[in-house]
Amino acid sequence: MKKTIKLIIRHIVLALLALFWLIPIIWLVVTSFSAHKGLATNNFFPKQWSFDNYVQLLTRPDTVCNFPAWFKNSMIIGVACCIISTIFVLMVAYAMSCMRFKARKPLMSFMIILGMFPGVLSMIAVYFVLREMGLTDSLLGLIMIYSAGSGMGYLICKGFFDTIPISLRESAKLEGASEFTIFTRIVIPLSKPIIVYTVINSFLAPWMDFVMARLMIKSKNPADWTVAIGLFNMLQKTLISEYFSVFCAGGVVVAIPISILFVIMQKFYVEGITGGAVKG
Amino acid sequence: MKNFLNGIKNYFKEFGTAVAKGDFWTKSSLLVMGMGYFGRGQIIKGILMTLIEIGVILFTALFSVPYLAKFGTLGTVQREEVFDAATMTKTVNDYDNSLLILLFSVVGMLVLVAFVLLYLNNIKKVYELQVLKEKGKHINSFVEDVKSLFNGNFHITLLTLPSIGILVFTVVPLIFMICVAFTNYDQNHQPPTYLFTWVGLKNFKNLFTNSMTVSFGYAFVRILAWTLIWAVLATFTTYIGGILLAKFINNERTKCKKLWRTLFVVTIAIPQFVTLLLINKMFSDNGIINGLANQWGIVDALKEAGIIAQGQNGIPFLSQPGWAHVMIVLINIWVGVPYQMLIATGILMNIPNDQLESAKIDGATEFQIFWKITMPYMLFITGPSLITSIVSNINNFNVIYLLTNGYTTPNPTMANSQAKEIDLLVTWLFTLTNDYSNFKMASVIGIFVFIVCAGITLIGFTNLIKGDREEEFQ
Repeated sequence: MKKTIKLIIRHIVLALLALFWLIPIIWLVVTSFSAHKGLATNNFFPKQWSFDNYVQLLTRPDTVCNFPAWFKNSMIIGVACCIISTIFVLMVAYAMSCMRFKARKPLMSFMIILGMFPGVLSMIAVYFVLREMGLTDSLLGLIMIYSAGSGMGYLICKGFFDTIPISLRESAKLEGASEFTIFTRIVIPLSKPIIVYTVINSFLAPWMDFVMARLMIKSKNPADWTVAIGLFNMLQKTLISEYFSVFCAGGVVVAIPISILFVIMQKFYVEGITGGAVKG
Repeated sequence: MKNFLNGIKNYFKEFGTAVAKGDFWTKSSLLVMGMGYFGRGQIIKGILMTLIEIGVILFTALFSVPYLAKFGTLGTVQREEVFDAATMTKTVNDYDNSLLILLFSVVGMLVLVAFVLLYLNNIKKVYELQVLKEKGKHINSFVEDVKSLFNGNFHITLLTLPSIGILVFTVVPLIFMICVAFTNYDQNHQPPTYLFTWVGLKNFKNLFTNSMTVSFGYAFVRILAWTLIWAVLATFTTYIGGILLAKFINNERTKCKKLWRTLFVVTIAIPQFVTLLLINKMFSDNGIINGLANQWGIVDALKEAGIIAQGQNGIPFLSQPGWAHVMIVLINIWVGVPYQMLIATGILMNIPNDQLESAKIDGATEFQIFWKITMPYMLFITGPSLITSIVSNINNFNVIYLLTNGYTTPNPTMANSQAKEIDLLVTWLFTLTNDYSNFKMASVIGIFVFIVCAGITLIGFTNLIKGDREEEFQ
């Protein structure tokens, strides 16, 4: 008897915690179905329900909101970054983990030191560099920013490679395999969790980031923006009374594909982080 | 450190021997880099090396030198427009752009440094070839050299592109910004219209000055203190919260573990800027929480109790120092715990079961097991990541910036240096650059953030992780 009560209490506590964590998400979803466009202040659930926010978001682009274009831009950036970053991270991690050369240790310490400078500091200068290359306000510029420095995020992946038994690589070498063959035929097929982890992370970075994008994209044309800038812009003091519900709808639309990706990849994700961290 | 110095010493020693003992071909490589390869029959490699040399010389002479020449002053000719009434056109003089001079000087210098390293290495390589030839050993053909890029020298192939990316988008901008800390680049000295120039350590002195006109010293101390408090609080609350939640969900008595986990993971999946902006609106002065609190009479009750001022029409969750500080830490728990829970889940699953069972057999309570086995195991594995997460919380821009978007400081001394009570060093830095174009002070602050982070990492890694304790847990 005492056990059952304990069991029930345990689940009630969990349910309360989950509810607490989900309140903002629930609010996001219900507000996105509100017929009232502005910020509701007195009622949690909207008084009148409507589907119009989604219709407006997806089919009626105007001078403030051009969601289809933003989604396309973010998608292009996300896919490009995820390909480039993943390749870069795997390359650096393999070189640092499986190969031995003179500059290895100095390079690793150098990257640790570089990583300790705040990213915001270099952003301004990155903007000047891009301006000289004529790449501000372009997708190519943003892709370069997000993926160029990605090699520095190799540590978790290196930790994972370190756990792959050396004997595997050595026996391949004895059979006459080159480093290139070992990399592509042995190490990569064994690293599925960490590759999935890197792919998700680098795909999501441009969706989640808005600081960089805000600095780099000065264009006033909404068609040039990314999802993050566009949604942020809707919450300006002058626009919020017209667009708050649309913002929520946008948030839901962005979150759906990412949530599905997350839930499916959860297992790999956990394996990726922990596998890499154990010997990090 | 000693190893490092020895390394440098050996590097130059090898270079010295190469020059001293080199024959005609090796010595002539001092002038034309490809000569050493021509002499040993590596024609293509020789041509490539010589082309690189010519390229760097041309680049430096034609592109860098004009900028490098002005590096000492960062330009002297200010931009002037002359309107010619006769032709109705504006003519602009041949002005100096301090920003471009500084930027391209940095690029030019990096190219030169890279070239010098390549040059020194080249002589050593050429000398190695000479020795091989003298001993009558095999010398690689060009095809073999290319093949080695996929085998013995595979690391060169792997690292080239990522390194170029890091150089152009991280190293060059950083050196540029560090230089800016020693100039007077601010809203009154913006190229191309105006020039800026070197001012030495003046900005660093400014950061510690507290006078009628300059209040950076006042703001800096307060913001630094809050940054450190925030970093420690944010890291440990989410860390412990995450472990507890993971333990709670993974307990054998909990049903539907996967469902619970998924519910929490959903909150990570929604982009942070969306949830943070949303929460910002929820807790704003006329947001929904205050609306409901007013309806339910909570606001009036708090006014009665004297917790909030009479004139206010709501609870100042994110608009008053004190309240805002607490709220930010609380909201960060909301943001960070699910993520930590995921990581902790993965690690908890890996705890060797026999240890836990033998502890149980010996009669240890659950509490003892948690503190004596689980926590040390967690700390061992996540110790290094704790330090990195303190550092990343010092740089946690999103949470603070998005949550306090709309906060204005009531303190005029803070406002004078464009700071707010809830600012971290990095958000202060961002406001200074983005809204006030005060690049010089922003760079100085950036350098201090680096010093703080480097200090914490050094202390953390030497004190927390003593020796190699890997075996203990295996």
